[in-house]
Amino acid sequence: MNANVEGNVPGDVSGRQPKVAVYICHCGGNISDTVDVAAVAAAMAQYPGVAIAREYPFMCSSGGQDLILDDIAKLGVERVVVAACAPSLHELTFRGVLQRAGINPYLYEHVNIREQVSWVHKADHDGATAKAIRLVQAGVEKVLRQAPLSALHAPANRRVAVIGGGPAGLKAALCLAAKGHEAVIIEKAPWLGGKLRDLGKVFPTGAEASETLRKLEELVAAEKRITVHTRAEIDSISGFVGNFTITFNTPDGSSQVTAGAVIVATGFEHYRPHPGEFGYGQAAHVITLPELISLLKDSPPRRLEHHGKEIKSLAMIHCVGSRQVEGVHQPQADGKVNDYCSRVCCSAALYTINRLKDKYPHVRIYDIYRDIRSYGMQHEGYYERASKHGVLFFRHTETDQPIVESSERGHTVKVKDVLTWNEEMEMQVDLLVLVTGMMPSDTKRLTSQLKLSVGADRFLQEVHPKLRPVEMAIEGVFVAGAAQAPMDMTEAIAAGAAAAAKAAILLSEPEIPLKPFVAVVDESRCTGCGDCLAECSYQGTLVMAEVNGRTVAQVNPALCKGCGACVAVCPTRAINVAGWTLDQFEAMVEAIAKA
Amino acid sequence: MSLKKILIITTEHASYPAANAVGQGRMGYDANTCIIRVPDPVMFPEDFYIRAFEKGIGGIIIMSSGSDCPYEGAYERLAKRVDRVYAKMQEGGIVPSRLKLTTICSVCRAAFLKEIAEMEKVVAAL
Ligand SMILES: Cc1cc2nc3c(=O)[nH]c(=O)nc-3n(C[C@H](O)[C@H](O)[C@H](O)COP(=O)(O)OP(=O)(O)OC[C@H]3O[C@@H](n4cnc5c(N)ncnc54)[C@H](O)[C@@H]3O)c2cc1C
Ligand code: SF4
Repeated sequence: MNANVEGNVPGDVSGRQPKVAVYICHCGGNISDTVDVAAVAAAMAQYPGVAIAREYPFMCSSGGQDLILDDIAKLGVERVVVAACAPSLHELTFRGVLQRAGINPYLYEHVNIREQVSWVHKADHDGATAKAIRLVQAGVEKVLRQAPLSALHAPANRRVAVIGGGPAGLKAALCLAAKGHEAVIIEKAPWLGGKLRDLGKVFPTGAEASETLRKLEELVAAEKRITVHTRAEIDSISGFVGNFTITFNTPDGSSQVTAGAVIVATGFEHYRPHPGEFGYGQAAHVITLPELISLLKDSPPRRLEHHGKEIKSLAMIHCVGSRQVEGVHQPQADGKVNDYCSRVCCSAALYTINRLKDKYPHVRIYDIYRDIRSYGMQHEGYYERASKHGVLFFRHTETDQPIVESSERGHTVKVKDVLTWNEEMEMQVDLLVLVTGMMPSDTKRLTSQLKLSVGADRFLQEVHPKLRPVEMAIEGVFVAGAAQAPMDMTEAIAAGAAAAAKAAILLSEPEIPLKPFVAVVDESRCTGCGDCLAECSYQGTLVMAEVNGRTVAQVNPALCKGCGACVAVCPTRAINVAGWTLDQFEAMVEAIAKA
Repeated sequence: MSLKKILIITTEHASYPAANAVGQGRMGYDANTCIIRVPDPVMFPEDFYIRAFEKGIGGIIIMSSGSDCPYEGAYERLAKRVDRVYAKMQEGGIVPSRLKLTTICSVCRAAFLKEIAEMEKVVAAL
């Protein structure tokens, strides 16, 4: 690794204070509806060290970026502060602008006045404005003390590890191979295909899932650049962009794979109803939608049977395990209800109803829903077809859940139907089908070892749903398919291809730039006491060495993780984490306390 | 000097994203709070906290990543350091409840808000 991190001395500005420009973004009203952006810009224009302060509707737009480029070119701006959305969204965008202008990209500070100001202080415009001013002032103090930094470079391993061999993972591996990359699929099940294996005919194509899977498997098997490991339980995953190491156990023993990037395509699990939820697991003839799909795969023509009983009528209840309401539904083990929509189940339910009606036109079907959300190209057609098939639809509210009473003779389902102005409807059916939703696969080991962000719904959370939809916040890690959110197979496959394209771009150069935020020693301040060595958990990162006849601490940037444990114990402040120095933080706190 | 400001020290990997998740959920809290983002709060020496109180910060919440911390041994070191900060606060006559070490993961929205609500009570009583 080539380390090129300059010390923690602010950049050379020939003994004078550098010119700082401050930009306050409206975020099209997301910020400016709450924060008085003009007042923030006016306050910042007066702040010591600030050469220019402006406000602009969308700083991330090309217009906003040009504004910065112009100020650098015409006004000689040397450092930049942008107050906008969360840094995870646009810190890199603005560093890129500085780079394009020929300025060191690290002479930049991003201040979050959307997620942490305007969105959380909606009712307190004055308080939000005052807080935005405080935070931007702290940002200016930080950037004034910022040293120019250069990225470290690490050699990139061109291989990509794909975790999960469902439709998303298979597509990702095929696309990577087509771009000349080696792909290693690590799949915990004994086979490939994920949930596709359990499906019958699939929408929107009407193809047999087994046939689609067979084609995918053939393509994978024919591709020399793809290696597949099934029954593989991941044991550990470590490293960083360009250099990940994944250890996993298979029945044949422990194996290790090194890869430059990781695509997480671990998919979803079907929601399992709680024992007794609408009678599931306790009363006979209560099944889930995936179980109905399996039943239909092998059911004989003319007579629909479940466990020996002929089914002449059935009711489907939507949103079981999805769109749950606190206080109404039983929470999951983590104490939270699943308040999200599983998106695919409405279409899957309607599509299955039509298949069932095509095969067993005499079976009476009642469809009980809160909303029909059959999103997707022409999926509304499944609803229309089901109506033409004579399926009866009933709609309930979120709090008035259907009530099921089960006996030997079948199930009585009662529903307060919104479509008939809250009339109490009652129907007798032989089979009850719970339209169960999707929950993320258990990725605890992966998320805790790779430090991946998880959303409030427990699915993996990308950096930005529109701007960086398959990238995780940890560099070199991508997400594809239903591991990220409930989605159908066409979307999962598209996401697999997108993640593969992103990984291939990342690994296209032999070296990858790494963040330069590692410990740096100011040798002139170091007394050689060695206190920092005892504090470092990473062996070999810090050593004492002779430099110009003095013993001083030396950092190996390739090993340093940038945690800063050493910083706290240095009696002379000789050691700091580049880009996050103690002087910077003290100046920020001073600005916050003062304003 | 008004001592109503609360400084929240968050970690880049966990509690800073949690603060963003609170914003994305449009959940509210008081505007006397200011969040700073660090790789890990283990980098701050004892006197950093004492100086912050002297500068006029009312309360400090250190939102560490706890056992989810990506850095080996950092949480244990931080916890020991915070104990030493409490000792220094006592020597300087600073109420110990003005400093709180807690752990917040990237989805701990409710816990994030609860910590702020508790510190609000502390600074209100100063
Ligand atoms: C009832 C129902 C019917 C549906 N019908 C349709 C349809 O007709 N048409 C359609 O387009 N979509 C349909 N879908 C959606 C479709 O099933 C998903 O979109 C698709 O399976 C998502 O693919 P995936 O690869 O992201 O995830 P998955 O199919 O879940 O595959 C994930 C893979 O990752 C593996 N894995 C998980 N964790 C790990 C780990 N830690 N280590 C290694 N491997 C791991 C799993 O074993 C699995 O093989 C339906 C969904 C449901 C619930
Ligand atoms: S897709 Fe339909 S059944 Fe599934 S959770 Fe959403 S509204 Fe409910």
